[in-house]
Amino acid sequence: METVLNIQNVTKYYGPLKALDNVSFDVPEKSVFGILGPNGSGKTTMLSIILDVLKATNGTYLWFGKPSTHEDRKQIGSLLETPNFYHYLSAYNNLKITQSISGRGSEDEIAEVLKKVKLHERQHSKFNSYSLGMKQRLAIAAALLGSPKVLVLDEPTNGLDPVGIAEIRELILELRNNGHTIIIASHLLDEVEKVCTHVAILKTGHLLTSGPVEEVLIDDDIVELGALNLNKLAEILKLIAKNVSIDSKQQMVNITIPKGSAKLEELNQYCFDHGVVLNHLVIKKKRLETKFFELTNN
Amino acid sequence: MNSLIKTEWLKIKNYRAFWWLLGITTLTYPGVNYIAYNIFKKITADKKEVSQMAKFLIGDPFSFPEAWHTIAYFSSFFVFIPSVIIIMFITNEYTFKTHRQNIIDGWSRNQFMTSKLIDVAIISVIVTLLLAIIAFIIGFITTDSGMGNMFDMIYYVALFALQTFAQLSLAFMVGFLVRKAFISLGIFLFYFMILEPVLTKIKYLKSFDLGRFFPISISNNLIPVPAFVGNFSKEAYEKSIADIGFYIFLTILLTTAVWFLCYRLNNRRDL
Repeated sequence: METVLNIQNVTKYYGPLKALDNVSFDVPEKSVFGILGPNGSGKTTMLSIILDVLKATNGTYLWFGKPSTHEDRKQIGSLLETPNFYHYLSAYNNLKITQSISGRGSEDEIAEVLKKVKLHERQHSKFNSYSLGMKQRLAIAAALLGSPKVLVLDEPTNGLDPVGIAEIRELILELRNNGHTIIIASHLLDEVEKVCTHVAILKTGHLLTSGPVEEVLIDDDIVELGALNLNKLAEILKLIAKNVSIDSKQQMVNITIPKGSAKLEELNQYCFDHGVVLNHLVIKKKRLETKFFELTNN
Repeated sequence: MNSLIKTEWLKIKNYRAFWWLLGITTLTYPGVNYIAYNIFKKITADKKEVSQMAKFLIGDPFSFPEAWHTIAYFSSFFVFIPSVIIIMFITNEYTFKTHRQNIIDGWSRNQFMTSKLIDVAIISVIVTLLLAIIAFIIGFITTDSGMGNMFDMIYYVALFALQTFAQLSLAFMVGFLVRKAFISLGIFLFYFMILEPVLTKIKYLKSFDLGRFFPISISNNLIPVPAFVGNFSKEAYEKSIADIGFYIFLTILLTTAVWFLCYRLNNRRDL
């Protein structure tokens, strides 16, 4: 698989503050690449650098295997930080400027993308009359114009209502299925978990980890067991599993088992053979949120 | 280049403040010259000896070919009106953060600056055309004798164009550096109307004749005070005319430096 974006040792200082510290990662073609991190971790700084809005103090990045030029950016649909449009122009006229600069799309396509983000009814209203959610939709429309093969989306669901968030998720999945590469920065882990194929996790400018989602985020399975005598259950489980813990609130025992190796029938049989009858047995994937807290709290 | 002009036109076309300011500019330039012309007419219309003397001394500043010089001179005071347009054009980009979006969408940083350079050039051309039309009309009305030499001093239109472009470039630079619309306007207008005129009159600077090297003064010297306005000597007037070539050089030098600085800074700094 080809690499769309290759980031090499990027460091960025804002005065004395180190916003990014020697960050490197690759974004493979046709992936949905999530850049995660708490507020102030350097996500937007990273995206601003690869879009030439900020200059890296050190390090380089390659778009499509070559040092970046402005011609590359024309092929990339981007939404950075906040929707940036001319307040006195309508949505339609703002997109005409996007089209004029990037060369992406046509007048018909402008109408089409506005329809896609459900702004067509208000397309001739001025930008400054829009709600936050509508502004965000327009920014997404601008990124989608001309159906670019690569999209860079910084917090695309900012300001959207739950329906809007679900629509964007559908949209990203649709783009993914059509072979687009999407780089998406977010702190909404649920969203990322649902759509991303790859992630990079940043914390105060350091790259904690990056790679395919299944490798980075889910390293163990958690099995949840319940029985009348939790102490006895825990005792017998300790003989076969690591990390046995009693969750007294939920009245459950949790054990972690290497990913993909949990066999529930065998486990049930084992407990029964040792005199414990289970009333609850569930396998749970470790959630992104848990992993994220684990990583970012250290 | 065409794409830059087209994009700027898309930005300007529906910008109401631009059309208002352009309207004000279009009214101010003829208005000011008409007032000056009327005052002149009043002084000289009288049949009394004094008035006729005045006419004899002043000559016919509103007739061809002097009209080009006189009207360019009066009009040049009002460059602060189009300067508001220029400052709005650049500070709008910062207010709306579209200076980032234009880059994100695929302009290079140089292209962004060139688009603004084109704006300044276009406004200079519009204002110059306005001047040329007004000078032509007033000259045409007031010239009694032959029109044979009417285009003799038309080079003042070109000098006016250079002066306008130079001063609008300074206005642009202030907007580019300060980024905030009203602060930029305040700084530029204060400097243009008060600070530099006062500074150039400081005795120390005057004694070394340094006032003429201030940024606005350099290009103001492209169009010397017409003979009938100043009450200075013939020699001083002739010297100011002879110095024009030197100030053309200085104006081009300063304006080039202004744009060089803006391009360079824009290429290096974070947006």
